[in-house]
Amino acid sequence: MSAGGLQIIVLVVFAVLTLALFAIFYVVARQSRRNVAAEVVTEQGYRLRRYWLAFLALALLSGLVVSAFALPYPSGSGPRTDVEVTGYQFNWTVTPDHVPVGSTVRFKVTSSDVNHGLGLYDPNGELVGQVQAMPTYVNTVEITLDTPGEYTINCLEYCGLKHHEMIRNFTVDP
Amino acid sequence: MTTTDLPAPGTATIHPRIAGGPQPYEGRDQRRVGLLFGVTGLTLFTVMALVGLLLRLSQGDVVTVSDAWFYRLMTLHAAGMLAGVLLAMMGGLWYVVRSTVPGLDFRVAMGAYASLLTGVVVVLVSTVIGGFAGAWTFLAPLPYESAGAWSTWAAVAFYIGMSLVDFAFMIYCISMLKAVTETYGGLAGALGLRWLRGRSDTPPPTSAIAATAVTVQGIAAGVAGMTIMAALLDRAMDDTVVIEPLWAKNVTYFFGHSVANLIIYLAAGMLYMLVPMYAGRPWKTSKPLVIGWLATITFVMTAYAHHLYMDFAQPGVLHAMGMFASSAAAIPVAVVTIYTAMMLVWGSQFRWTLSSLLFFLGFMGWAVGGVGAVLDSLIPVNFRLHNTLWVPAHFHSYLLMGVGVWVIGLVAYLLERACDRPAGRRTTVWGPVLMVLGGYGLTFAWYISGAMGVPRRWAVQPDGTQVWSVIGSVFAIIFLVGLFVVLAELIRMGREAWRLRGTRSEPEPAAVALAPVPGSGFRPMVTTYWGTVIAVAVGVAGLFVLYPPVNEMSEWTDKYHHLAHAFQFFVGAMLAAVAGSDPRIANRFGGRISTSLIVVAVAPVIMLLVMMPQIYKHLDDMPVMHAGYHLLMIAFGAVTGFACARLGRVAGWSVFWASIAMAVLFAPGVSGG
Repeated sequence: MSAGGLQIIVLVVFAVLTLALFAIFYVVARQSRRNVAAEVVTEQGYRLRRYWLAFLALALLSGLVVSAFALPYPSGSGPRTDVEVTGYQFNWTVTPDHVPVGSTVRFKVTSSDVNHGLGLYDPNGELVGQVQAMPTYVNTVEITLDTPGEYTINCLEYCGLKHHEMIRNFTVDP
Repeated sequence: MTTTDLPAPGTATIHPRIAGGPQPYEGRDQRRVGLLFGVTGLTLFTVMALVGLLLRLSQGDVVTVSDAWFYRLMTLHAAGMLAGVLLAMMGGLWYVVRSTVPGLDFRVAMGAYASLLTGVVVVLVSTVIGGFAGAWTFLAPLPYESAGAWSTWAAVAFYIGMSLVDFAFMIYCISMLKAVTETYGGLAGALGLRWLRGRSDTPPPTSAIAATAVTVQGIAAGVAGMTIMAALLDRAMDDTVVIEPLWAKNVTYFFGHSVANLIIYLAAGMLYMLVPMYAGRPWKTSKPLVIGWLATITFVMTAYAHHLYMDFAQPGVLHAMGMFASSAAAIPVAVVTIYTAMMLVWGSQFRWTLSSLLFFLGFMGWAVGGVGAVLDSLIPVNFRLHNTLWVPAHFHSYLLMGVGVWVIGLVAYLLERACDRPAGRRTTVWGPVLMVLGGYGLTFAWYISGAMGVPRRWAVQPDGTQVWSVIGSVFAIIFLVGLFVVLAELIRMGREAWRLRGTRSEPEPAAVALAPVPGSGFRPMVTTYWGTVIAVAVGVAGLFVLYPPVNEMSEWTDKYHHLAHAFQFFVGAMLAAVAGSDPRIANRFGGRISTSLIVVAVAPVIMLLVMMPQIYKHLDDMPVMHAGYHLLMIAFGAVTGFACARLGRVAGWSVFWASIAMAVLFAPGVSGG
């Protein structure tokens, strides 16, 4: 398995922010031994807090806005190749299980027993997308498959004692 | 913070500015609850951490654990760990709130303790003996569709065990909400809204605000838990019961996510009083803090929806709500609570002891876990990280390195205070150093694995990824070495405290002096003439559901039928609440609330349990029995409503509407075959 581009970006962002937090806590701990009047700390702290609030709100809002334009939910336009997927304890039925490279595949996913999770991994082992397989519902997800080769469908929702064996191949023909 | 001038032990361990002045009140009941809940929670934490290490070693192929045992231990680890840290933080918040709220009921706290611990034992039996391995989230229909892995009795035992844990949390929340709001002038007073609007000169203490916000949410989460548990029990008794899968997911995650999240907020309420002991500065109630807690109530209650992003059948508005709330919830945490904690420490000549160091480090775990959580709460990111090892990575960051560390800190605080000395210097340095190194090493191995797409909850990990489990296991062992270094010192201090017991004067609860707050004291649910008239009118109007044509229409589907039962329950509850608010009736039943707490938590559940098609479908041809069944629904409502009235205005109405919501919530989710 390997990390894809988005996962690497997220991991780097997380690592940078975590290191920043470690540094902040270290500095605060170091400064804890000083004797600064509470009024001074309060006044300066409250002033700084306004900037912190503005920065954080802006950062969170940016994340929400960018996310809103990159939602993975089906858009409904353009040609699609339908693939019907049904999860059951402990395997998948996939029809068809071959699609041509470059297809935008509309996976129609359901379950015949308990909740499962369809996780699609490309030939490099990168998780390219997922959707829940739920009894009585059909969840539809669209993924464009540009890399030819053997994809893997793993179960990503705990479904019983052989959950980790619920693996099936899916081929993208060159 | 309200204080007394009574002498208190433990001054050698806290900040000189606090030690030289009046001490926060600590009575015998406080110490008992703090230590009993804290030590029991810490014991469960330690045992479940060892189980967690075993799971990690198994995933790294270092030891062999069969699939069946892996998943049953995984279920036990999660349920036991959450129950343990929940118990400890319930005790921690009770300990600090009791300083200013004499009305907190010790017997109720002990009842909650007994119920929670019994629940853990039942969960232990269901998993280890019964083989139940449906995960702590028990997502329907897996508990009753196990492919032959476990029997019905094991699943039922698990539901009962979790119900007992939920029951413990509910009665704790209800009794605390009652006591705090009766001390600080109702809901608006206890949340600081009256002070915010200039209608009161004195704000409530920060811990009281946190306690009020947490308990309101706790009651809502608790009834959701009871509802899904009742549905699952109905299914266990009646094969024809059908539980709607999307409904079950929503209710289960609303319960599970909210309770897990509230553990952190229970801890925040505790830290509002304990951190100032080492900083020598008060954690004052401020307007941002009051607003922050109001926002927290909203965001924590709605953030659960991020668990269902990958259920594309879920209405889009709920996805949007989950994403917004998950991001927005970070603001009060980062801008108010953690930021203020840093301000308290900065330049304070902070008194570093084992407990204060652990309190400080816990904030870091909360912050780091928060970053991981917010990133994963963005839907495009969740599309690649959901149900990978990123998920245990982020929640272990704030539950292991946040709450877990605070649990140890609470016990250390109580023992340092009891022994009147700080923990040994070597322990204070090496224990936390090893825990930080090991804890973050463990979680970072998960973060990296999650980014690689390694699925969570896999007994056997994909080829080539086991090495990350081995690395994680090494760090977990380092964490545990640090934990045992600390535990050894805590055991020494416990023995010392035991020898010292009774050698210091103990202030009695009656010695606490509080300035009277306007609107404080017990207030009935319904007090005015017009309030009574309206309540009776609403109750009587609800009887329309028994009007034959309406009753016949309700029989069209199970959902309408269950909704009719909810209406019948409502009628009984409303009319009995009015009756129970009349002092001429209420005064006959004394002042204790223990029975009422049990009734309000249990009666609505029993009502849901008898709402099984196997029972009422046979009544269609028996008019008298059928009518009796509907009267039974009204009776359940009446018992609940009357018990609500005994809890007073805020707690009573909160539980009243929560129990009605429970009956209404059940209707769309459960039907007959």
